[in-house]
Amino acid sequence: MKGYKVERDTIVINRELTSLDLFVKDFLSILKKYSDYLIVSGFVSISTGRTRGTENVDILFPIIQKEKFAKLFNDLQKNEFWCYQSDNAESLYSYIENFNSIRFARINEMFPNIELIPFNEEKKTKFFEFSHPQKIRIEDFEFKIPPIEFEILYKEIILAGKKDLADALHLRTFFSKILKEEKFKEYEPIIREELK
Amino acid sequence: MKKIISDLDYVILYAEQLKKNKELFKQQKELIEAQIKASSSLFRNAFGEDFKTNARKYLQGRGLI
Repeated sequence: MKGYKVERDTIVINRELTSLDLFVKDFLSILKKYSDYLIVSGFVSISTGRTRGTENVDILFPIIQKEKFAKLFNDLQKNEFWCYQSDNAESLYSYIENFNSIRFARINEMFPNIELIPFNEEKKTKFFEFSHPQKIRIEDFEFKIPPIEFEILYKEIILAGKKDLADALHLRTFFSKILKEEKFKEYEPIIREELK
Repeated sequence: MKKIISDLDYVILYAEQLKKNKELFKQQKELIEAQIKASSSLFRNAFGEDFKTNARKYLQGRGLI
């Protein structure tokens, strides 16, 4: 059987869930009650078969109101997640409003962890990928990632480390039959804006 | 003369095989499970019962928070 198929607008990966997937699934089940989100970077490659280790899962989320954030934080704590930075929602919110990431792991664990990355409409590149999500599914776990072409270019142009270039090559190879050249052309100038 | 396979050649080879054969995902799952188990054991031993306090000291010491 093939590694993936496309059903309507969703990429379906033909594999079993891992402990890493279940960790992300649990976190998203709480986050989604309070905010929209987009999973970016390493987990996109790993969830589609790239064989490498990872420590953190990067999730973009639009800045939400302080009261809503406090409810999200309490819910995460109640469901056995702890935050690296603080146990206090008010002090954590100062990270959020200053566009600094915060990290969550399971109680009594360090890894894997979720890096929650706040952004708003002024962050053009992040806002663009957030507004153009690609759905992906593994068994009953469905989540949102950037368009694959966008993710590839972001890794090649912005991140550009050895690990990122290998991730991009994995995505280019694995998804070669569904990648569209016109989308690469559309996304490249948007991504290059981030270098200015 | 034998060609040396680079890391990137391996990435391409693996992804090409993965497209055709989902059984390769089982190897990836084993790697992920092993990594998570090893990490859990390492940090539980290192930080003990007061895990969160000791973890934060560790993170602060490395300038990570």
